[in-house]
Amino acid sequence: MRKGQYNAGFVEEEEMKSNLHKHVALATVALAMTLGANAAHAQEKKTVAYLAPSLDISYWQWVGYGVKQKAEKLGMDYVELTSENSPAKQMDNARTAVTKGVDAIVIGPVSSTSTPPLLAYLKSQNIPIAFAGIGPQPGQTDYTSSVTANNYETGKAQGSFVCKLAKERGGNQVGMLSLPQDRENAQKYLKGAEEAFKADGCDLAQMLETRGLTINEAVTQANDMLTAHPDIKAIYGMYDEAGTGAAKVLETRGLTGKVGIAVADGSPTTIGLLKANAIQGIFFQEAVGQGIDGTQQVYNALTGAAVKKDLALVMPLVTADKVDSPEAKAVIARVFPPAN
Amino acid sequence: MTQNTTQTSADQGQVAFQIRHRESIIGSYRTEIAIAIAIIVLALAVGSQVPQALSWGNFANITQAGAPLIIMSLGVLLVVITGGIDLSVGSVFSLTGMVTAQAMAHGFGGFEASLIGLSVGLVFGSINGFLVTIAGLAPFVVTLITFAVAGSLAFIVTNGRSMPIGDPDFWLLNSGSLVPGMPNYILFCIVLLVAIELFLKKMVAGRWFYAVGSSAQAAHLLGIPVKRTMFLAYVASSLLASFSGLLTISYILNAESTAGSSLMLQAIAAVVIGGASLLGGTGTAVGAVLGALMITVIQNGVNLIGINSFWQGSVTGVAILIAVLIDRFSKSRRGAG
Repeated sequence: MRKGQYNAGFVEEEEMKSNLHKHVALATVALAMTLGANAAHAQEKKTVAYLAPSLDISYWQWVGYGVKQKAEKLGMDYVELTSENSPAKQMDNARTAVTKGVDAIVIGPVSSTSTPPLLAYLKSQNIPIAFAGIGPQPGQTDYTSSVTANNYETGKAQGSFVCKLAKERGGNQVGMLSLPQDRENAQKYLKGAEEAFKADGCDLAQMLETRGLTINEAVTQANDMLTAHPDIKAIYGMYDEAGTGAAKVLETRGLTGKVGIAVADGSPTTIGLLKANAIQGIFFQEAVGQGIDGTQQVYNALTGAAVKKDLALVMPLVTADKVDSPEAKAVIARVFPPAN
Repeated sequence: MTQNTTQTSADQGQVAFQIRHRESIIGSYRTEIAIAIAIIVLALAVGSQVPQALSWGNFANITQAGAPLIIMSLGVLLVVITGGIDLSVGSVFSLTGMVTAQAMAHGFGGFEASLIGLSVGLVFGSINGFLVTIAGLAPFVVTLITFAVAGSLAFIVTNGRSMPIGDPDFWLLNSGSLVPGMPNYILFCIVLLVAIELFLKKMVAGRWFYAVGSSAQAAHLLGIPVKRTMFLAYVASSLLASFSGLLTISYILNAESTAGSSLMLQAIAAVVIGGASLLGGTGTAVGAVLGALMITVIQNGVNLIGINSFWQGSVTGVAILIAVLIDRFSKSRRGAG
């Protein structure tokens, strides 16, 4: 009896062990299959890295927003690295991104001249790269796509608009609050604007270059410019803060509307000023749009679809009377994220 | 007859005292007078090229543009006199603006938001003062750290975005007139100038600042509260940087995270131009204000004449060099005399 009981207990124990082994084996197989499937899925999912020159400027945050949104739509993972305005850090970031296994890069470079070694490295690693905002150094070809604003054509269009504003206000003298002229985009803006002024019969009375890109500096410069040249009838703002600063000065001097303002870039602040008729036009730089388009191009390169190498976007003008139109809203959606 | 002679002698003594007093005032403000003359010469030189430079409107431009720098320089001066340095003022300036704007965006009125903004100065000044006096760290290192932290926080507060000012009456802080006919920014500059100059020259606690800057050890042996004096200097410096930030956002009705980035070096330059030694123990509020005005006049002149603004730094550098040479030359002459 005891023996029988013992035997029965032994058999039960053996069966239990056998079942347990079966379950463990099944669970292991299932786990392995799941992990394998996940690994395969992870292998399929592409990653795009956004290398920003610095994230303390809204513009580069907005480009990043565009990259991230598009990456999500395309089923890509997104990583972000900032170069802190250092070409060396930019290069380190590119190497870090490649080491992490990213499949493509969208970059707002520190400068055009900082790009040749970066492009050579990424070519050696077979990583597609799209530029956003600032293009590669002229002569470079080892990139997938360059999505930038057409600064020359925008400069021309903005120059014509500013000249028109001056003439509507009974003069032909215009002033300019410029980006630093050591920048290629600033030189192109200026070249286009000067050609437009000449063609349309306006004189550029004075141009002052910013150093700090702050509203406070623009206020001081606009004040000084109007003191030295009281006949100025319109102001060309080459960057967003210039428009805000100039509008503030005109308000203080009781000249709002009497001196026209057109500004490049665009932000919630300047859109507010446009709606209040404190400035007359904004030439929008599509920061979010550049991020979206750049991401699409590197994705195309990864999937073998057609790629557009150079996309020079002419910055669309939105005037005060059309700021609430559906067209203007569509433009603004490509400028900054909705939370702004 | 004897009475007349006595009377005449007394009158002569009175006149001699007045002359000596006047000479001593002129002597103690020799550097400041030289800077004031240099500013006038500079303004006239710009005026010869652009006549509007000498207009009342341009005077208003210069004072408005210079007010934040003047106020910040007065704070930095207090630290420099004690032999320290405050590199954090520019970042505190920016952070104050961002915090104040953010507070208004969260429903606080202009006054309450300003107090919250000023607390930034109080906190960072206290941290600076604590680390320098209690922890015994070098002022350069301490304020370099707080410069970095406050600068970083200025971005974090609004994720790097500029912020419009919510209170529609906030412009009154800068451009209103507590004294009829005088904009507040000028009033604040004058009040702070007079208060700090009188404090430094006429009050015992003010004299402690010079004593600490000349020799902290000697000051300690004399029973002067060295640590408390230095602590107060850092708190005052940060508070004035905060106030300067408030004034700026009140003027432009916008807060920017990079607004103060160039101001720190300008404030230190203004103090040095004004005759203060970075080794401590010297400097006046009048000199710091004149130094700040000189930098503003240079910037204004460069803009009016239309010189590339990148030259501003070089011109300011030359102005500092000339001011330091004048100061050194006048001191060596006094020493020889």
